[in-house]
Amino acid sequence: MSNVPSDWEVVIGLEVHVQLHTRAKVFASSPWGFGKAPNEQVDPVVLGLPGTLPVVNREAVEKSILFGLVVGSSVPEHCSWDRKNYFYPDNPKNYQLTQKDFPVVVGGQVEIELPGASRNVMGEHKFIRIHHAHLEEDVGKLSHAGSGSLVDYNRAGVPLLEIVTEPDLRSSAEAEAFLRSLVAMLTQAGVADCDMEKGQLRCDCNVSIRRRGADKLGTRTETKNLNSISSVRDTVIYETARQIRELEAGRSITQETRGWNAELGRGYVLRDKEDAHDYRYFPDPDIPTLKISRETVARLAKLVPENLYDRQRRYVEKLGLPYTAASVLVNDRALAEWFELAVAAHPTNPSGIANLVANDLLRDLAASAGAAGSFDEAVPAQVSLSSCPIKPAQLAGLVKLTDEAVISKQQAKEVFAEMFKTGQDAAAIVDAKGLRQNSDTGELEKIVQEVIADPAVAKSIAEYRAGNEKAINALKGPIMKRTQGKANPVLIDQLLRKFLG
Amino acid sequence: MAEGFDIDHLAKLARLSLTAEEKALYSSQLNQILGHFQALADADLPATIDDARVVNEDALRSDEPGLVLGAEAVTRIAPASRDGQISVPRVVDDES
Repeated sequence: MSNVPSDWEVVIGLEVHVQLHTRAKVFASSPWGFGKAPNEQVDPVVLGLPGTLPVVNREAVEKSILFGLVVGSSVPEHCSWDRKNYFYPDNPKNYQLTQKDFPVVVGGQVEIELPGASRNVMGEHKFIRIHHAHLEEDVGKLSHAGSGSLVDYNRAGVPLLEIVTEPDLRSSAEAEAFLRSLVAMLTQAGVADCDMEKGQLRCDCNVSIRRRGADKLGTRTETKNLNSISSVRDTVIYETARQIRELEAGRSITQETRGWNAELGRGYVLRDKEDAHDYRYFPDPDIPTLKISRETVARLAKLVPENLYDRQRRYVEKLGLPYTAASVLVNDRALAEWFELAVAAHPTNPSGIANLVANDLLRDLAASAGAAGSFDEAVPAQVSLSSCPIKPAQLAGLVKLTDEAVISKQQAKEVFAEMFKTGQDAAAIVDAKGLRQNSDTGELEKIVQEVIADPAVAKSIAEYRAGNEKAINALKGPIMKRTQGKANPVLIDQLLRKFLG
Repeated sequence: MAEGFDIDHLAKLARLSLTAEEKALYSSQLNQILGHFQALADADLPATIDDARVVNEDALRSDEPGLVLGAEAVTRIAPASRDGQISVPRVVDDES
């Protein structure tokens, strides 16, 4: 990320297009979904046939407002739709319905977290301002075959929320962090699924550079239609280097639209659609201005989930979780809520529960489900908890048995594996396998005293008595060995301290 | 003629091929139309949203999927098609 010479500063703004989670299209009742045969999800309104009129889908509007509430935007009193006119075959009626002057979301901000020095360390947090977001219709899909092109209008009319940031991002790492954060917010609020492999999230990336400390923004280029976080990151790195090279060679930057070839890892100038910037917008006469009631806003506000970084702070500060576990849990709302149910059943050891959830449970769920695609290749796809064989209270039961030293942490792993396989309670498995640890104090006292008397550990005992707490651990191994691992570690510790006093 | 537009540019955007006579005719007609709009723009009106064009959320449609035409019907109304898709002259967007 620090490939930028320190006297240059890169300035990035993103336009993120997200398909909203609805069943019908945004201005038509045609259903939509991924993987259907071409042109099977098209109706007369989508094609703009004579005599048809668009009517706005309530769910698409409410999902957009919900997004606005998630990022803390002020929901406007009104919003309206405009026609963006251009001739291109991806567009069945020669204009796209979009929102130019009165978008549904105005303002707001997204908290981001940059990578820390290592995986265990939380990185810097920043806020990226949202300029606005507008609700528009997606366009059809073109494929090129021989001397012609083929058009599939299944995607035309799918509700698309275009989220436009202020030029607040300053590195490829910040752009990456922003997209991760945005995807988490969109999916956790149920606004969108953001499945990259289905093209549900695409991004246009505006990049310019300027001398560090300069006020004025440099000339920017726009790289269009990036469909993964890594493509956005690579585009920023590539475009920054290219622009620095141009300016340092005494040339200037041309404001242009570019494409990205992910296979070759390089950008290229797009042959612009002729006069593409002259869209001759005007208010759509078919769709009246919409008044957004405050009752609707209040109802939707109740659906806003806890912000993921608020949740992360709560887990670390109030529940005492290590950052590593907290950061894994908060990325997936269902997982975080599952974890909280387990904590409610056994409130004294949230970290013990978190470690089992973030490591063992996630690993086994991913292995049993097989991961689906996500926009972010670096983060594993969300696992499905609906088919999880272990219930939160059962996991809490396992941690409780470990905390009460009925079984060791090592044995807990074994019990966990059995629980995942059978869905049985931890206690039942412990009993069935005869895992209950030896808590017979009399017998154990004898073994502890024998070990202490062994000259081989005299040095460790001396160190412990001299104040080195950790030296006591050297005595635990031999005791465990003599009991074939069945002794209760908590009891061993207590007895050692008693005898070494 | 002091017009606020370029008739050649507009004709190109609208994919119209106009003769010199047509350009002169449409330029004058467009100027008249723009004159009407200028009169409207000059009117002293409060800068509020026109209530007559505002609807509340009752005017929205519910998210219920309805009927589709089917690829056969969609392609039948297109000048050319292939394998359920509409066939158009090649448009190139990718690296070339």
